[in-house]
Amino acid sequence: MATGGTVWDLDKGDVLGPVEYRLSSFVIREYTHAVELHHPVFQGVSDQVMPPTLVHLDKLRLYKHACPGGTGPSARIHFEYDVEVFAPAYAGDLLRVTGTVEDRYLKKGRDYVVMRIDMERVETGELLMRYTDRVILAFEPKKEAMAS
Amino acid sequence: MSGLNAAFPAPPVGAEFRLQGRPMTRERMRWYVDAQPTVAADDGRIHTQEPTIHDDDEYAKSQGLPGIIADGMVSTNWIMGLLIDVFGESVVRRMKLSTKYIAPIYEDQVVIPCARVTRTVKEAATGLQIELDVWCEDDKQTMLTVGKATVFGPNA
Repeated sequence: MATGGTVWDLDKGDVLGPVEYRLSSFVIREYTHAVELHHPVFQGVSDQVMPPTLVHLDKLRLYKHACPGGTGPSARIHFEYDVEVFAPAYAGDLLRVTGTVEDRYLKKGRDYVVMRIDMERVETGELLMRYTDRVILAFEPKKEAMAS
Repeated sequence: MSGLNAAFPAPPVGAEFRLQGRPMTRERMRWYVDAQPTVAADDGRIHTQEPTIHDDDEYAKSQGLPGIIADGMVSTNWIMGLLIDVFGESVVRRMKLSTKYIAPIYEDQVVIPCARVTRTVKEAATGLQIELDVWCEDDKQTMLTVGKATVFGPNA
């Protein structure tokens, strides 16, 4: 297990969380405002639906929970987003997110990490979203790996 | 626009949709940077964070980049906005969306979200299902982000 350190330390099989939080109207409105999604389903005052893209920030929530040492020696590059929404999460819902590191591998001198995040509604246990996130841990390749 | 419904005419395979191009300005990049700690704090106030590759030139250069680049999730969100505009708000209640960032998006580069229908399925048991290729290109037709989406109608 490589949790408890930095994001850089994460390895295949690590489980991050679960973490529970209540989804607020403010969060939906603020996030969608930042990405210019001004649709009433997000910017309204009732029955707001969580944008499926917001689950990406649950990765940061899980990093903060499981990797108190922070990012590590370099900035990550997020390069792939992949979600399936099974049912909507609404403002006011109590949500539970769990991250699982499905793979970590080295390619052309760069470390890649694949993490799956499952989001459930706590009251019902219903799986709402399954998200797979792929990142490169550093933009610059490792010199020793490139030389080998 | 309420979204996919029984009366919604499924667009034909090959139908293409696109939004007007938007320059990926420094401000647009920073809005997403600031949204992250603001969402995390969830206290009704704006929060900022340490320098990132999306809002600080010197930090981006220290990480091997020529300058700041946009967070890929901005283009993913713009693609989702296109899907909502075309198919209605109900798509966010049941959908699949995958995007891959194949080229960095630099400051002031124009980004055009696009989608093309690749398959439609309508069955009594599953309802209407529309599969699409989605992507963002710039004003020189350079591909920046590529992916796939599926939107669902009633009973899906």
